[in-house]
Amino acid sequence: MIWDKEETLPREEIKAIQLAKLKDTVRYIYDRVKPYRDKMDAAGIKPDDVQTLEDLKRLPFTYKADFRDHYPDGLFAVDKKDIVRYHASSGTTGKPTVVGYTRNDLDMWLNNVARLACMGGATADDVAQISFGYGTFTGALGLHGGLEKIGASVIPMSSGNTNKQIMFLQDMGVTLLVATPSYALHLGEEIRNRGIDPEKDLKLHIGLFGGEGMTEPMRDEMHKVWGDQFVCTQNYGMSELCGPGVAGECTELCGMHVNEDWFIPEIIDPETEEVLPPGELGELVVTCLGKEALPLVRYRTGDLTRLMYEPCKCGRTTCRMENISGRADDMLVIRGVNVFPTQIEEVLLKIDEIGPHYEILVERRNRLDVMTITVELIDDRLLDSYAKLSELESRIKKALKAQLGLATQIRLVAPNSLQRFEGKAKRVTDLRKDGL
Amino acid sequence: MIRQISVFVENQPGSMMNVTSVLTETGVNIRAISTFDTPEFGIMRLVVDDPVSAKNSLTEKGFVTRVSDVIGVELKDEQGNLNQMLKILADGKINIDYIYSFVIREGKAPVMVFHTDDFEQAEKVLETAGVKIMEEEEL
Repeated sequence: MIWDKEETLPREEIKAIQLAKLKDTVRYIYDRVKPYRDKMDAAGIKPDDVQTLEDLKRLPFTYKADFRDHYPDGLFAVDKKDIVRYHASSGTTGKPTVVGYTRNDLDMWLNNVARLACMGGATADDVAQISFGYGTFTGALGLHGGLEKIGASVIPMSSGNTNKQIMFLQDMGVTLLVATPSYALHLGEEIRNRGIDPEKDLKLHIGLFGGEGMTEPMRDEMHKVWGDQFVCTQNYGMSELCGPGVAGECTELCGMHVNEDWFIPEIIDPETEEVLPPGELGELVVTCLGKEALPLVRYRTGDLTRLMYEPCKCGRTTCRMENISGRADDMLVIRGVNVFPTQIEEVLLKIDEIGPHYEILVERRNRLDVMTITVELIDDRLLDSYAKLSELESRIKKALKAQLGLATQIRLVAPNSLQRFEGKAKRVTDLRKDGL
Repeated sequence: MIRQISVFVENQPGSMMNVTSVLTETGVNIRAISTFDTPEFGIMRLVVDDPVSAKNSLTEKGFVTRVSDVIGVELKDEQGNLNQMLKILADGKINIDYIYSFVIREGKAPVMVFHTDDFEQAEKVLETAGVKIMEEEEL
Protein backbone atom coordinates (compact mmCIF):
# COMPACT_ATOMS: atom_id res chain seq x y z
CA MET A 1 0.00 0.00 0.00
CA ILE A 2 1.18 3.54 -0.79
CA TRP A 3 0.08 5.92 1.94
CA ASP A 4 0.15 9.32 0.19
CA LYS A 5 -0.24 10.43 -3.41
CA GLU A 6 2.82 12.69 -2.96
CA GLU A 7 4.97 9.57 -3.08
CA THR A 8 4.04 8.89 -6.70
CA LEU A 9 4.03 12.33 -8.33
CA PRO A 10 5.91 12.98 -11.57
CA ARG A 11 9.41 14.33 -10.81
CA GLU A 12 8.50 17.78 -12.13
CA GLU A 13 5.65 18.05 -9.64
CA ILE A 14 7.87 16.90 -6.77
CA LYS A 15 10.36 19.59 -7.73
CA ALA A 16 7.64 22.24 -7.89
CA ILE A 17 6.50 21.34 -4.37
CA GLN A 18 10.10 21.41 -3.16
CA LEU A 19 10.79 24.82 -4.69
CA ALA A 20 7.65 26.40 -3.26
CA LYS A 21 8.34 25.02 0.20
CA LEU A 22 12.04 25.88 0.01
CA LYS A 23 11.30 29.54 -0.70
CA ASP A 24 8.94 29.65 2.28
CA THR A 25 11.42 27.85 4.52
CA VAL A 26 14.29 30.17 3.67
CA ARG A 27 12.15 33.25 4.28
CA TYR A 28 10.90 31.66 7.53
CA ILE A 29 14.35 30.93 8.94
CA TYR A 30 15.71 34.31 7.91
CA ASP A 31 12.88 36.08 9.66
CA ARG A 32 12.70 33.93 12.77
CA VAL A 33 16.02 32.31 13.61
CA LYS A 34 18.93 34.63 14.33
CA PRO A 35 21.76 32.11 13.85
CA TYR A 36 20.45 31.41 10.32
CA ARG A 37 20.07 35.09 9.55
CA ASP A 38 23.62 35.76 10.73
CA LYS A 39 25.00 32.92 8.59
CA MET A 40 23.04 34.02 5.52
CA ASP A 41 24.10 37.63 5.97
CA ALA A 42 27.71 36.53 6.31
CA ALA A 43 27.35 34.51 3.11
CA GLY A 44 25.71 37.50 1.39
CA ILE A 45 22.49 35.69 0.51
CA LYS A 46 18.94 36.93 1.05
CA PRO A 47 15.72 34.89 0.98
CA ASP A 48 14.76 36.46 -2.37
CA ASP A 49 17.95 35.11 -3.91
CA VAL A 50 16.49 31.60 -3.75
CA GLN A 51 14.53 31.32 -7.00
CA THR A 52 15.32 27.79 -8.19
CA LEU A 53 16.25 24.49 -6.53
CA GLU A 54 19.76 25.10 -7.87
CA ASP A 55 20.01 28.08 -5.53
CA LEU A 56 19.88 25.73 -2.55
CA LYS A 57 23.60 25.12 -2.85
CA ARG A 58 24.27 28.81 -2.18
CA LEU A 59 22.83 28.51 1.33
CA PRO A 60 25.16 27.93 4.30
CA PHE A 61 25.33 24.49 5.92
CA THR A 62 23.96 23.72 9.36
CA TYR A 63 26.12 21.53 11.58
CA LYS A 64 25.52 19.43 14.67
CA ALA A 65 27.81 21.91 16.44
CA ASP A 66 25.18 24.61 15.83
CA PHE A 67 22.87 22.74 18.19
CA ARG A 68 25.56 22.77 20.85
CA ASP A 69 26.37 26.44 20.28
CA HIS A 70 22.71 27.39 20.55
CA TYR A 71 21.74 24.86 23.24
CA PRO A 72 19.03 24.08 24.08
CA ASP A 73 16.59 25.87 21.77
CA GLY A 74 18.46 28.69 20.03
CA LEU A 75 17.63 27.24 16.61
CA PHE A 76 13.91 27.08 17.34
CA ALA A 77 11.61 29.28 15.25
CA VAL A 78 8.53 29.31 17.45
CA ASP A 79 7.59 30.36 20.93
CA LYS A 80 7.84 27.77 23.70
CA LYS A 81 4.06 27.71 24.11
CA ASP A 82 3.67 26.38 20.55
CA ILE A 83 5.87 23.36 21.26
CA VAL A 84 3.91 20.22 22.07
CA ARG A 85 6.79 17.75 22.24
CA TYR A 86 10.51 17.68 22.89
CA HIS A 87 12.92 14.89 22.04
CA ALA A 88 16.67 14.72 22.38
CA SER A 89 19.60 12.75 21.08
CA SER A 90 23.25 12.69 21.94
CA GLY A 91 25.32 15.75 21.32
CA THR A 92 29.01 15.66 20.50
CA THR A 93 29.71 16.54 24.14
CA GLY A 94 27.80 16.55 27.41
CA LYS A 95 24.83 18.57 26.22
CA PRO A 96 22.21 16.65 24.28
CA THR A 97 20.83 17.78 20.94
CA VAL A 98 17.31 18.99 21.79
CA VAL A 99 14.58 19.05 19.17
CA GLY A 100 10.99 20.28 19.36
CA TYR A 101 7.71 19.85 17.51
CA THR A 102 4.62 21.96 17.06
CA ARG A 103 1.25 20.27 16.63
CA ASN A 104 1.68 20.49 12.84
CA ASP A 105 5.22 19.13 13.05
CA LEU A 106 3.98 16.08 14.93
CA ASP A 107 1.28 15.47 12.32
CA MET A 108 3.79 15.80 9.47
CA TRP A 109 6.30 13.59 11.25
CA LEU A 110 3.96 10.77 12.11
CA ASN A 111 2.41 10.90 8.64
CA ASN A 112 5.87 10.41 7.16
CA VAL A 113 6.41 7.48 9.51
CA ALA A 114 3.07 6.05 8.39
CA ARG A 115 4.41 6.18 4.82
CA LEU A 116 7.48 4.15 5.63
CA ALA A 117 5.50 1.66 7.68
CA CYS A 118 3.40 1.09 4.56
CA MET A 119 6.57 0.87 2.45
CA GLY A 120 7.65 -1.98 4.71
CA GLY A 121 4.31 -3.78 4.29
CA ALA A 122 2.47 -2.73 7.44
CA THR A 123 -1.34 -2.49 7.42
CA ALA A 124 -4.14 -1.75 9.85
CA ASP A 125 -4.30 -5.49 10.63
CA ASP A 126 -0.85 -5.61 12.15
CA VAL A 127 -0.03 -6.01 15.83
CA ALA A 128 3.20 -4.08 16.27
CA GLN A 129 5.66 -4.59 19.10
CA ILE A 130 7.96 -1.59 19.54
CA SER A 131 11.23 -2.83 21.00
CA PHE A 132 13.08 0.45 20.76
CA GLY A 133 13.82 2.14 24.07
CA TYR A 134 11.24 4.83 24.82
CA GLY A 135 12.26 8.12 26.44
CA THR A 136 13.66 11.07 24.55
CA PHE A 137 14.79 8.86 21.66
CA THR A 138 12.64 9.65 18.60
CA GLY A 139 12.61 6.09 17.25
CA ALA A 140 10.14 4.55 19.68
CA LEU A 141 7.50 7.29 19.79
CA GLY A 142 7.96 7.96 16.07
CA LEU A 143 7.18 4.41 14.96
CA HIS A 144 4.57 4.19 17.69
CA GLY A 145 2.67 7.20 16.32
CA GLY A 146 3.14 6.28 12.67
CA LEU A 147 1.83 2.75 13.17
CA GLU A 148 -1.14 4.04 15.14
CA LYS A 149 -1.88 6.40 12.27
CA ILE A 150 -2.29 3.52 9.83
CA GLY A 151 -4.48 1.72 12.36
CA ALA A 152 -2.12 -0.99 13.54
CA SER A 153 -2.33 -2.17 17.18
CA VAL A 154 0.74 -0.92 18.97
CA ILE A 155 2.46 -2.56 21.96
CA PRO A 156 4.91 -0.07 23.53
CA MET A 157 7.23 -2.78 24.82
CA SER A 158 10.46 -0.73 24.93
CA SER A 159 13.89 -2.36 24.91
CA GLY A 160 15.39 -5.11 27.06
CA ASN A 161 13.72 -7.86 29.11
CA THR A 162 13.94 -10.58 26.51
CA ASN A 163 11.62 -12.95 28.41
CA LYS A 164 8.81 -10.43 28.38
CA GLN A 165 9.47 -9.59 24.72
CA ILE A 166 9.08 -13.26 23.79
CA MET A 167 5.98 -13.72 25.93
CA PHE A 168 4.22 -10.82 24.19
CA LEU A 169 5.33 -11.97 20.74
CA GLN A 170 3.72 -15.33 21.45
CA ASP A 171 0.67 -14.42 23.49
CA MET A 172 -0.41 -11.27 21.65
CA GLY A 173 0.04 -12.72 18.19
CA VAL A 174 2.49 -9.99 17.24
CA THR A 175 2.91 -9.65 13.46
CA LEU A 176 5.33 -6.74 13.23
CA LEU A 177 8.51 -5.99 15.14
CA VAL A 178 10.16 -2.58 15.46
CA ALA A 179 13.75 -2.83 16.70
CA THR A 180 17.35 -2.26 15.81
CA PRO A 181 18.40 -5.00 13.37
CA SER A 182 21.00 -6.34 15.78
CA TYR A 183 18.46 -6.63 18.57
CA ALA A 184 16.05 -8.39 16.20
CA LEU A 185 18.76 -10.96 15.44
CA HIS A 186 19.52 -11.39 19.12
CA LEU A 187 15.84 -11.81 19.97
CA GLY A 188 15.32 -14.30 17.14
CA GLU A 189 18.20 -16.42 18.31
CA GLU A 190 16.97 -16.35 21.90
CA ILE A 191 13.60 -17.55 20.64
CA ARG A 192 15.16 -20.42 18.71
CA ASN A 193 17.27 -21.33 21.76
CA ARG A 194 14.02 -21.87 23.63
CA GLY A 195 12.84 -24.36 21.08
CA ILE A 196 10.36 -21.96 19.48
CA ASP A 197 10.28 -21.95 15.69
CA PRO A 198 9.33 -18.42 14.59
CA GLU A 199 8.01 -19.66 11.26
CA LYS A 200 5.57 -22.14 12.82
CA ASP A 201 4.94 -20.85 16.31
CA LEU A 202 4.76 -17.08 15.80
CA LYS A 203 2.74 -14.79 13.56
CA LEU A 204 5.58 -12.32 13.15
CA HIS A 205 6.26 -11.60 9.48
CA ILE A 206 7.31 -7.95 9.24
CA GLY A 207 10.33 -6.20 10.66
CA LEU A 208 10.72 -2.42 10.54
CA PHE A 209 14.27 -1.72 11.52
CA GLY A 210 16.14 1.43 12.34
CA GLY A 211 18.41 3.10 14.85
CA GLU A 212 21.39 1.59 13.08
CA GLY A 213 22.03 0.45 9.54
CA MET A 214 21.11 -3.03 8.33
CA THR A 215 23.66 -4.48 5.92
CA GLU A 216 22.74 -7.13 3.34
CA PRO A 217 24.60 -9.85 5.32
CA MET A 218 22.47 -8.87 8.32
CA ARG A 219 19.33 -9.18 6.23
CA ASP A 220 20.45 -12.67 5.15
CA GLU A 221 20.94 -13.62 8.80
CA MET A 222 17.54 -12.18 9.58
CA HIS A 223 15.96 -14.64 7.15
CA LYS A 224 17.89 -17.53 8.67
CA VAL A 225 16.63 -16.60 12.13
CA TRP A 226 13.07 -15.46 11.41
CA GLY A 227 12.37 -17.50 8.27
CA ASP A 228 12.41 -16.90 4.52
CA GLN A 229 9.01 -15.22 4.49
CA PHE A 230 10.05 -12.54 6.95
CA VAL A 231 9.87 -9.13 5.26
CA CYS A 232 12.45 -6.86 6.79
CA THR A 233 13.07 -3.29 5.78
CA GLN A 234 14.98 -0.46 7.31
CA ASN A 235 14.27 3.19 7.54
CA TYR A 236 16.30 6.30 8.03
CA GLY A 237 16.05 9.41 10.07
CA MET A 238 17.70 11.39 12.81
CA SER A 239 16.19 13.44 15.55
CA GLU A 240 17.44 16.74 14.15
CA LEU A 241 15.49 16.11 10.93
CA CYS A 242 12.36 14.88 12.82
CA GLY A 243 13.33 11.33 13.83
CA PRO A 244 12.38 8.32 11.72
CA GLY A 245 10.32 9.21 8.65
CA VAL A 246 12.95 10.79 6.43
CA ALA A 247 13.32 7.71 4.23
CA GLY A 248 12.37 4.06 4.21
CA GLU A 249 12.84 0.91 2.16
CA CYS A 250 9.94 -0.47 0.23
CA THR A 251 9.57 -4.22 -0.20
CA GLU A 252 11.45 -4.04 -3.52
CA LEU A 253 14.54 -3.55 -1.33
CA CYS A 254 16.39 -1.21 -3.65
CA GLY A 255 17.17 1.71 -1.39
CA MET A 256 15.24 3.93 0.99
CA HIS A 257 12.62 6.24 -0.53
CA VAL A 258 13.13 9.80 0.65
CA ASN A 259 9.96 11.68 1.52
CA GLU A 260 10.97 14.37 -0.92
CA ASP A 261 8.00 16.63 -0.46
CA TRP A 262 9.30 17.22 3.09
CA PHE A 263 13.05 16.73 2.72
CA ILE A 264 15.49 17.77 0.01
CA PRO A 265 18.52 15.48 0.02
CA GLU A 266 21.88 16.49 -1.43
CA ILE A 267 25.13 14.55 -1.58
CA ILE A 268 28.33 16.50 -1.04
CA ASP A 269 32.01 15.78 -0.88
CA PRO A 270 32.59 16.17 2.88
CA GLU A 271 36.05 17.63 2.29
CA THR A 272 35.42 20.16 -0.49
CA GLU A 273 31.72 20.63 0.41
CA GLU A 274 30.90 20.56 -3.32
CA VAL A 275 27.56 19.08 -4.33
CA LEU A 276 28.07 15.77 -6.16
CA PRO A 277 25.96 14.50 -9.08
CA PRO A 278 23.30 11.79 -8.58
CA GLY A 279 24.76 8.33 -8.00
CA GLU A 280 27.98 9.53 -6.39
CA LEU A 281 28.91 8.50 -2.87
CA GLY A 282 29.24 11.33 -0.38
CA GLU A 283 27.82 12.92 2.74
CA LEU A 284 24.07 13.29 2.94
CA VAL A 285 22.89 16.86 3.50
CA VAL A 286 19.20 17.37 4.20
CA THR A 287 16.98 20.42 4.08
CA CYS A 288 13.69 20.07 5.94
CA LEU A 289 10.69 21.66 4.28
CA GLY A 290 7.79 23.14 6.18
CA LYS A 291 8.97 22.35 9.67
CA GLU A 292 7.69 24.91 12.12
CA ALA A 293 9.50 24.43 15.44
CA LEU A 294 12.94 23.49 14.22
CA PRO A 295 13.49 24.29 10.56
CA LEU A 296 16.78 22.95 9.26
CA VAL A 297 18.53 24.00 6.09
CA ARG A 298 21.36 22.01 4.55
CA TYR A 299 21.98 19.92 7.64
CA ARG A 300 25.21 17.93 7.52
CA THR A 301 24.08 14.45 8.59
CA GLY A 302 27.58 12.96 8.57
CA ASP A 303 26.13 9.83 6.94
CA LEU A 304 27.72 8.57 3.72
CA THR A 305 25.37 7.34 1.01
CA ARG A 306 24.33 7.92 -2.60
CA LEU A 307 21.05 8.93 -4.22
CA MET A 308 19.22 7.18 -7.05
CA TYR A 309 16.48 8.91 -9.02
CA GLU A 310 15.31 6.11 -11.35
CA PRO A 311 11.67 5.10 -10.79
CA CYS A 312 11.08 2.14 -8.48
CA LYS A 313 9.00 -0.95 -9.28
CA CYS A 314 6.86 -0.22 -6.25
CA GLY A 315 5.32 2.76 -8.05
CA ARG A 316 6.91 5.46 -5.94
CA THR A 317 8.71 8.20 -7.84
CA THR A 318 10.63 9.60 -4.88
CA CYS A 319 14.39 9.25 -4.99
CA ARG A 320 16.07 6.48 -3.06
CA MET A 321 19.12 6.57 -0.84
CA GLU A 322 21.44 3.60 -0.53
CA ASN A 323 22.20 1.91 2.81
CA ILE A 324 24.43 4.16 4.86
CA SER A 325 27.95 3.01 4.14
CA GLY A 326 29.77 4.89 6.86
CA ARG A 327 30.27 8.21 8.55
CA ALA A 328 32.07 11.35 7.50
CA ASP A 329 32.94 11.91 11.17
CA ASP A 330 33.88 9.61 14.04
CA MET A 331 30.36 8.99 15.37
CA LEU A 332 29.64 5.43 16.44
CA VAL A 333 26.26 3.75 16.55
CA ILE A 334 26.14 1.44 19.59
CA ARG A 335 22.94 -0.51 20.10
CA GLY A 336 21.18 2.12 18.05
CA VAL A 337 22.53 4.94 20.18
CA ASN A 338 24.75 7.57 18.59
CA VAL A 339 28.01 7.96 20.45
CA PHE A 340 30.70 10.52 19.82
CA PRO A 341 34.17 9.79 21.23
CA THR A 342 34.21 13.38 22.48
CA GLN A 343 31.32 12.54 24.83
CA ILE A 344 33.36 9.71 26.32
CA GLU A 345 36.45 11.87 26.57
CA GLU A 346 34.55 14.54 28.45
CA VAL A 347 33.47 12.02 31.10
CA LEU A 348 36.93 10.47 31.46
CA LEU A 349 38.68 13.81 31.85
CA LYS A 350 36.62 14.51 34.95
CA ILE A 351 37.89 11.41 36.74
CA ASP A 352 41.16 12.23 38.49
CA GLU A 353 42.39 8.72 39.14
CA ILE A 354 42.85 7.95 35.46
CA GLY A 355 44.98 9.54 32.77
CA PRO A 356 43.75 11.51 29.73
CA HIS A 357 44.43 8.74 27.20
CA TYR A 358 41.84 6.16 26.26
CA GLU A 359 40.93 3.61 23.63
CA ILE A 360 37.50 2.48 22.51
CA LEU A 361 36.90 -1.03 21.23
CA VAL A 362 33.56 -1.92 19.69
CA GLU A 363 32.64 -5.51 18.93
CA ARG A 364 29.53 -7.57 18.61
CA ARG A 365 29.00 -10.41 21.09
CA ASN A 366 25.94 -12.56 20.89
CA ARG A 367 24.60 -10.13 18.24
CA LEU A 368 24.78 -7.16 20.59
CA ASP A 369 27.25 -4.33 20.57
CA VAL A 370 29.78 -4.25 23.37
CA MET A 371 31.93 -1.19 23.90
CA THR A 372 35.10 -1.54 25.97
CA ILE A 373 36.94 1.56 27.06
CA THR A 374 40.53 1.18 28.15
CA VAL A 375 41.94 3.79 30.48
CA GLU A 376 45.22 4.23 32.28
CA LEU A 377 45.27 4.09 36.05
CA ILE A 378 47.47 6.80 37.52
CA ASP A 379 46.49 7.11 41.18
CA ASP A 380 48.52 4.77 43.41
CA ARG A 381 46.13 5.20 46.36
CA LEU A 382 43.76 2.77 44.67
CA LEU A 383 46.28 -0.04 45.16
CA ASP A 384 45.38 -0.29 48.84
CA SER A 385 42.61 -2.70 48.03
CA TYR A 386 40.67 -4.30 45.21
CA ALA A 387 37.57 -2.65 46.54
CA LYS A 388 39.01 0.74 45.63
CA LEU A 389 39.90 -0.39 42.12
CA SER A 390 36.52 -1.88 41.49
CA GLU A 391 34.86 1.19 42.98
CA LEU A 392 36.74 3.25 40.39
CA GLU A 393 35.61 0.92 37.63
CA SER A 394 32.01 1.18 38.63
CA ARG A 395 32.25 4.95 39.06
CA ILE A 396 33.56 5.29 35.48
CA LYS A 397 30.82 3.00 34.21
CA LYS A 398 28.14 4.95 36.02
CA ALA A 399 29.38 8.30 34.70
CA LEU A 400 29.47 6.95 31.14
CA LYS A 401 26.02 5.44 31.52
CA ALA A 402 24.70 8.82 32.66
CA GLN A 403 26.31 10.56 29.71
CA LEU A 404 25.69 8.03 26.93
CA GLY A 405 22.71 6.07 28.20
CA LEU A 406 24.70 2.92 27.49
CA ALA A 407 26.44 0.28 29.54
CA THR A 408 30.17 0.03 28.85
CA GLN A 409 33.01 -2.26 29.85
CA ILE A 410 36.04 -0.65 31.47
CA ARG A 411 39.57 -1.98 31.26
CA LEU A 412 42.20 -0.48 33.55
CA VAL A 413 45.78 -0.60 32.36
CA ALA A 414 49.10 0.69 33.59
CA PRO A 415 50.18 4.23 32.72
CA ASN A 416 51.83 4.73 29.35
CA SER A 417 50.54 1.45 28.01
CA LEU A 418 48.15 3.09 25.54
CA GLN A 419 49.49 4.35 22.28
CA ARG A 420 50.32 8.07 22.09
CA PHE A 421 49.51 10.01 18.95
CA GLU A 422 51.24 13.04 17.58
CA GLY A 423 48.73 13.90 14.89
CA LYS A 424 45.10 12.88 14.81
CA ALA A 425 44.53 10.22 17.42
CA LYS A 426 43.05 6.90 16.36
CA ARG A 427 41.30 5.88 19.53
CA VAL A 428 38.47 3.80 18.13
CA THR A 429 38.70 0.21 16.91
CA ASP A 430 35.46 -1.12 15.46
CA LEU A 431 35.58 -4.88 14.92
CA ARG A 432 32.02 -5.16 13.67
CA LYS A 433 32.09 -6.50 10.13
CA ASP A 434 29.00 -5.97 7.98
CA GLY A 435 27.11 -5.34 11.18
CA LEU A 436 27.58 -8.94 12.29
CA MET B 1 55.63 -2.43 61.48
CA ILE B 2 56.99 -3.12 58.02
CA ARG B 3 56.28 -1.53 54.65
CA GLN B 4 55.11 -3.26 51.52
CA ILE B 5 54.97 -1.97 47.98
CA SER B 6 51.89 -2.57 45.85
CA VAL B 7 52.20 -2.49 42.06
CA PHE B 8 49.39 -2.45 39.50
CA VAL B 9 49.97 -5.12 36.85
CA GLU B 10 47.88 -6.21 33.93
CA ASN B 11 46.93 -9.85 33.74
CA GLN B 12 49.11 -10.81 30.79
CA PRO B 13 52.34 -12.71 30.14
CA GLY B 14 55.45 -11.04 31.45
CA SER B 15 53.80 -8.32 33.46
CA MET B 16 55.12 -9.55 36.81
CA MET B 17 58.53 -10.18 35.36
CA ASN B 18 58.58 -6.55 34.21
CA VAL B 19 58.30 -5.54 37.87
CA THR B 20 60.91 -7.98 39.18
CA SER B 21 63.37 -7.04 36.45
CA VAL B 22 63.18 -3.37 37.43
CA LEU B 23 63.81 -4.37 41.06
CA THR B 24 66.73 -6.56 40.04
CA GLU B 25 68.29 -3.71 38.06
CA THR B 26 67.88 -1.43 41.06
CA GLY B 27 69.51 -3.98 43.33
CA VAL B 28 66.49 -4.37 45.54
CA ASN B 29 66.06 -7.68 47.35
CA ILE B 30 62.58 -9.21 47.41
CA ARG B 31 61.64 -10.77 50.74
CA ALA B 32 58.05 -11.74 50.09
CA ILE B 33 55.63 -11.57 47.23
CA SER B 34 51.95 -12.12 46.61
CA THR B 35 49.52 -11.41 43.82
CA PHE B 36 45.80 -11.51 43.51
CA ASP B 37 44.21 -11.77 40.16
CA THR B 38 41.07 -10.63 38.43
CA PRO B 39 40.45 -11.39 34.77
CA GLU B 40 42.08 -8.16 33.67
CA PHE B 41 44.48 -6.83 36.25
CA GLY B 42 46.23 -7.67 39.48
CA ILE B 43 47.87 -6.01 42.42
CA MET B 44 51.31 -7.35 43.10
CA ARG B 45 52.42 -6.87 46.70
CA LEU B 46 56.01 -7.19 47.80
CA VAL B 47 58.10 -6.81 50.90
CA VAL B 48 61.57 -5.66 49.90
CA ASP B 49 64.72 -4.58 51.69
CA ASP B 50 64.52 -1.03 50.35
CA PRO B 51 60.92 0.06 49.70
CA VAL B 52 61.83 3.67 48.89
CA SER B 53 64.28 2.81 46.09
CA ALA B 54 61.86 0.16 44.88
CA LYS B 55 59.04 2.67 44.59
CA ASN B 56 61.21 5.31 43.00
CA SER B 57 62.59 3.01 40.36
CA LEU B 58 59.20 1.46 39.55
CA THR B 59 57.49 4.86 39.37
CA GLU B 60 60.23 6.09 37.08
CA LYS B 61 59.54 3.14 34.78
CA GLY B 62 55.88 4.06 34.66
CA PHE B 63 54.38 1.62 37.17
CA VAL B 64 51.63 2.71 39.51
CA THR B 65 53.25 1.88 42.85
CA ARG B 66 52.25 2.50 46.42
CA VAL B 67 54.07 2.05 49.71
CA SER B 68 51.92 1.15 52.70
CA ASP B 69 52.18 -0.44 56.13
CA VAL B 70 51.58 -4.08 56.95
CA ILE B 71 52.19 -6.13 60.06
CA GLY B 72 54.75 -8.91 60.14
CA VAL B 73 54.81 -11.44 62.94
CA GLU B 74 57.23 -14.26 63.57
CA LEU B 75 55.92 -17.79 63.45
CA LYS B 76 57.51 -20.91 64.84
CA ASP B 77 58.00 -23.49 62.11
CA GLU B 78 55.77 -26.06 63.76
CA GLN B 79 52.33 -27.54 63.28
CA GLY B 80 49.41 -25.43 64.50
CA ASN B 81 51.41 -22.26 64.88
CA LEU B 82 49.67 -20.35 62.07
CA ASN B 83 46.32 -21.48 63.41
CA GLN B 84 47.22 -20.17 66.83
CA MET B 85 48.28 -16.80 65.40
CA LEU B 86 45.04 -16.46 63.48
CA LYS B 87 43.09 -17.39 66.60
CA ILE B 88 44.71 -14.57 68.55
CA LEU B 89 43.65 -12.12 65.86
CA ALA B 90 40.17 -13.61 65.55
CA ASP B 91 39.61 -13.47 69.29
CA GLY B 92 40.71 -9.84 69.19
CA LYS B 93 38.10 -9.19 66.44
CA ILE B 94 40.78 -8.19 63.98
CA ASN B 95 39.72 -8.45 60.36
CA ILE B 96 42.53 -9.56 58.08
CA ASP B 97 42.19 -8.02 54.60
CA TYR B 98 44.86 -10.24 53.15
CA ILE B 99 47.73 -12.37 54.29
CA TYR B 100 50.68 -13.49 52.31
CA SER B 101 53.64 -15.68 51.85
CA PHE B 102 55.97 -15.94 54.74
CA VAL B 103 59.30 -14.27 54.53
CA ILE B 104 61.89 -17.00 54.70
CA ARG B 105 65.01 -15.79 56.41
CA GLU B 106 68.19 -17.73 56.53
CA GLY B 107 68.40 -19.54 59.88
CA LYS B 108 65.52 -17.55 61.36
CA ALA B 109 61.83 -18.19 61.94
CA PRO B 110 59.31 -17.45 59.09
CA VAL B 111 57.22 -14.30 59.17
CA MET B 112 53.54 -13.94 58.38
CA VAL B 113 52.62 -10.67 56.66
CA PHE B 114 49.09 -9.34 56.83
CA HIS B 115 47.04 -6.21 56.30
CA THR B 116 44.15 -5.00 58.41
CA ASP B 117 42.07 -1.88 58.62
CA ASP B 118 42.76 -1.49 62.35
CA PHE B 119 46.50 -1.50 62.96
CA GLU B 120 46.27 -0.05 66.47
CA GLN B 121 43.95 -2.74 67.76
CA ALA B 122 45.91 -5.48 65.97
CA GLU B 123 49.12 -4.38 67.63
CA LYS B 124 47.43 -4.28 71.00
CA VAL B 125 45.98 -7.77 70.58
CA LEU B 126 49.28 -9.23 69.45
CA GLU B 127 51.23 -7.57 72.22
CA THR B 128 48.79 -8.82 74.85
CA ALA B 129 49.27 -12.33 73.49
CA GLY B 130 53.02 -11.90 73.68
CA VAL B 131 53.56 -12.01 69.91
CA LYS B 132 56.46 -10.06 68.54
CA ILE B 133 55.74 -7.62 65.75
CA MET B 134 58.60 -7.39 63.32
CA GLU B 135 60.40 -4.21 62.36
CA GLU B 136 61.97 -3.81 58.94
CA GLU B 137 65.54 -3.99 60.18
CA GLU B 138 64.84 -7.36 61.75
CA LEU B 139 63.81 -8.98 58.48
